[in-house]
Amino acid sequence: MSETESQAGVLLECRGIDKSYNGPMVLSAVDFSIRRGEVHSLVGENGAGKSTLIKIITGVTGRNAGEMSFDGVAIGAEHSKKAAQDLGIAVIYQELSLIHGMSVAQNLFLTREPRYPLIGLINIARMNAEAQALIDRYGFSLKATDSVDSLSIAQRQTVEILKALNSMASLIIMDEPTSSLTSTESAQLFAIVQKLKAEGIAVLYISHRMEEVYRLSDRVTVLRDGRKVAILEKDQIHPEEIIRLMIGRALEAGESNRSMARKGGEVVLEVKGLCSQDRFQDVAFSLHKGEILGIGGLVGSGRTELVRAIYGIDPFDSGQVSFLGRDWKPGVSASIEGGIGFVPEERRLQGIMGGISITGNVGIPNLDSTGTLGFVSDRRELELARKAIGLLNIRPAEPSVPVGNLSGGNQQKVVVGKWLIRDLKLLIVDEPTVGIDIGAKEEMYQTFARLAAAGVSIILVSSDLPELTRLSDRIIVLRKGRIIREFAEGVVTEEDVLRASSGILEGGGR
Amino acid sequence: MKLDPLKTKRLIADFRLFFVLLLVMAVLTILSPRFLKLDNLSNVLWSVCLIGIMCSGAIYSPITGGIDLSVASMAALSGIIANVLMNKAGIPWVPALLLTLVFGALIGYINGIVTTRFRVPAFIVTMAAKTYLFGLAMLVSNGDQITIMQPKGFLAIGVGKFLGLPIPIYIMVVLIIASHVLLKHTVFGRQAIAVGANEVSARLSGVDPDRVRVIVYVLSAVAATVAGIVMASLTQQAYAANAGGYELDVITAIVVGGTSLMGGSGSVAGALIGAVMVGFINNGLNLLNMPSAFHPLVTGIVILLALRLNQGISLPGFLKLGRKA
Repeated sequence: MSETESQAGVLLECRGIDKSYNGPMVLSAVDFSIRRGEVHSLVGENGAGKSTLIKIITGVTGRNAGEMSFDGVAIGAEHSKKAAQDLGIAVIYQELSLIHGMSVAQNLFLTREPRYPLIGLINIARMNAEAQALIDRYGFSLKATDSVDSLSIAQRQTVEILKALNSMASLIIMDEPTSSLTSTESAQLFAIVQKLKAEGIAVLYISHRMEEVYRLSDRVTVLRDGRKVAILEKDQIHPEEIIRLMIGRALEAGESNRSMARKGGEVVLEVKGLCSQDRFQDVAFSLHKGEILGIGGLVGSGRTELVRAIYGIDPFDSGQVSFLGRDWKPGVSASIEGGIGFVPEERRLQGIMGGISITGNVGIPNLDSTGTLGFVSDRRELELARKAIGLLNIRPAEPSVPVGNLSGGNQQKVVVGKWLIRDLKLLIVDEPTVGIDIGAKEEMYQTFARLAAAGVSIILVSSDLPELTRLSDRIIVLRKGRIIREFAEGVVTEEDVLRASSGILEGGGR
Repeated sequence: MKLDPLKTKRLIADFRLFFVLLLVMAVLTILSPRFLKLDNLSNVLWSVCLIGIMCSGAIYSPITGGIDLSVASMAALSGIIANVLMNKAGIPWVPALLLTLVFGALIGYINGIVTTRFRVPAFIVTMAAKTYLFGLAMLVSNGDQITIMQPKGFLAIGVGKFLGLPIPIYIMVVLIIASHVLLKHTVFGRQAIAVGANEVSARLSGVDPDRVRVIVYVLSAVAATVAGIVMASLTQQAYAANAGGYELDVITAIVVGGTSLMGGSGSVAGALIGAVMVGFINNGLNLLNMPSAFHPLVTGIVILLALRLNQGISLPGFLKLGRKA
């Protein structure tokens, strides 16, 4: 290794960190360190203690035992959010914290706006110039005067990062930064990470996507059940190895690509010439009983809009839908009654009702079976909740727990589970495994396979290519609202789908 | 039997509010010997009845994440309307009151439609309703304080007794129980909570949030109308400023009772305890001969204290102001 003394220097050092929130140990004796200017990934399944460790580092919560130092200076037990910021630790959260309606510059300089001397009013010209200088220094394509509302999610993330840079951060923590980015945007983010590294800024990277971890990291720390399992150096980082360490076992065979075979039999859903203004055009496909139809394509290709129209949330302009052989006028209530379930993207915003119990969440689409003459049977509802908990192995298996308190994977199981206790004919799932850990993902896949085997048809919208190629019996790829490719037979690789999504068809170069 | 920790926790939370109520009562008993006397307690009961009746309907708007500021104006107006129907139009009192209720339902329906169809925030819609209903009341009553001397059947609602207890108590108890059952045991109650917890998710699960909201504002206005009828009968008066400020007492009772203004949860029983608490505090201030200029100040502070105590913060913790944040 040709690292110089200062590059190898330790920026953040944690030793023997213990933490419990009155009860079980969430972290025990965790050693963790970040070197100056390195990209360090922290991986582990949900519940492994990643977020708790981040919270301790950023001063959101205290530790029960252990020592911490930053830049050689010990961090006392009185560590706080403010203290962490002052030290130069910045976090880019999953939920971005930019203020709507303000410009990029206003967001960057929030509470630290340059003022005119004496009168104290904000010097807007100088603020914009300084913001633009900062943007240009890192070579981003942003304008300081643009409103953040007009930016894409990836660009907003860039603003967040600039905000951190503007506050002289020497450690930037990124928590699942690519979860809502397209692959192009992700690639831009990776370039930014490299740039930060070149500037000597350390990045603590948290992601469930192994290929990113593999691609970016200088070192990887693996947590399992609140303990540090391993620290891997650059040459030891292999995706399979990380997964093995994370879940404590090797992935079983058959979890990669499989050959697709066209399913025959009864047609459950048939869509012809479906158009909706500028969302999608001329979409046609049919779905057989027990078939898993994958819908690929980039974010914004019209996938989500298409399935929302089929489920009946948004109207469409023209085209025909037939369901179970009958002409079908989509509408949410009719869909639910007819045996269609819908698992939306963005679990927290659209899927769960975080403040209410598992029973409450499971109960809502099932009021038709729990209610008589407008009155709901608590006993019947509780039975359904227990059934969903049992079917999907939801943890904790306590129907009265508010769903917001569950881990991401278990939240998603609730969203899926509420449909499985119905007489389901078709389940539409949109990005069903975003932000959930590998164990829960695996269970989700098995659930889908089990459903399909039981004769339930599934429409799977996903940006996760391994997921798409592994689960689907057939894949259609949308691009700019049109079906650009259909894969129905043989082995389909992730690369095939990605090429079609990006508009590179047969024989195109890389 | 294993104790369910969550249920135990919820039980403690329910009782905590009750203890806060006892605390308020204890303080008032110490400060004023007249407080615990029967005649005083029955005084408190009137205002508790009115607030309780309004709460039984008004609690649904915060549960769905909205608010209804128009209940007091609605109550005042309904007394005036009832009087016009009975004593000017000469309609017998039972159909007259039913018509008044229909009128209340219509106003609630308008609130609901404006909120849902035109996407105007409930706060604005019901604040506007509060104002125009007051205006309507002024118009219909000519700005007068009307004294209602008949019909006898109508007046019996407020002053009549059954089995030794005043009839308004029965009305309140019936409405509170009905409201509790509606919230906890019906499809509509489940849907209202779902809309407040996450409207998008509720819609994807087959709930029609707009329909739920319209019903919510109808319920709120109808309960306010009932309160207005009881109030007019009890005081034998109807005027536009009657019940002025009650909308805040109602919201206070609901919030003190553990219902979040953010939606997604609610407790009718809690709101009832909240109503009792608000009644006691208002009554206590009168008993203590405190100049009326001080009432809002003290009420505000006591409400904040009650809220903090109900959130499970001990008094010593509360006094360490702001340390937690």
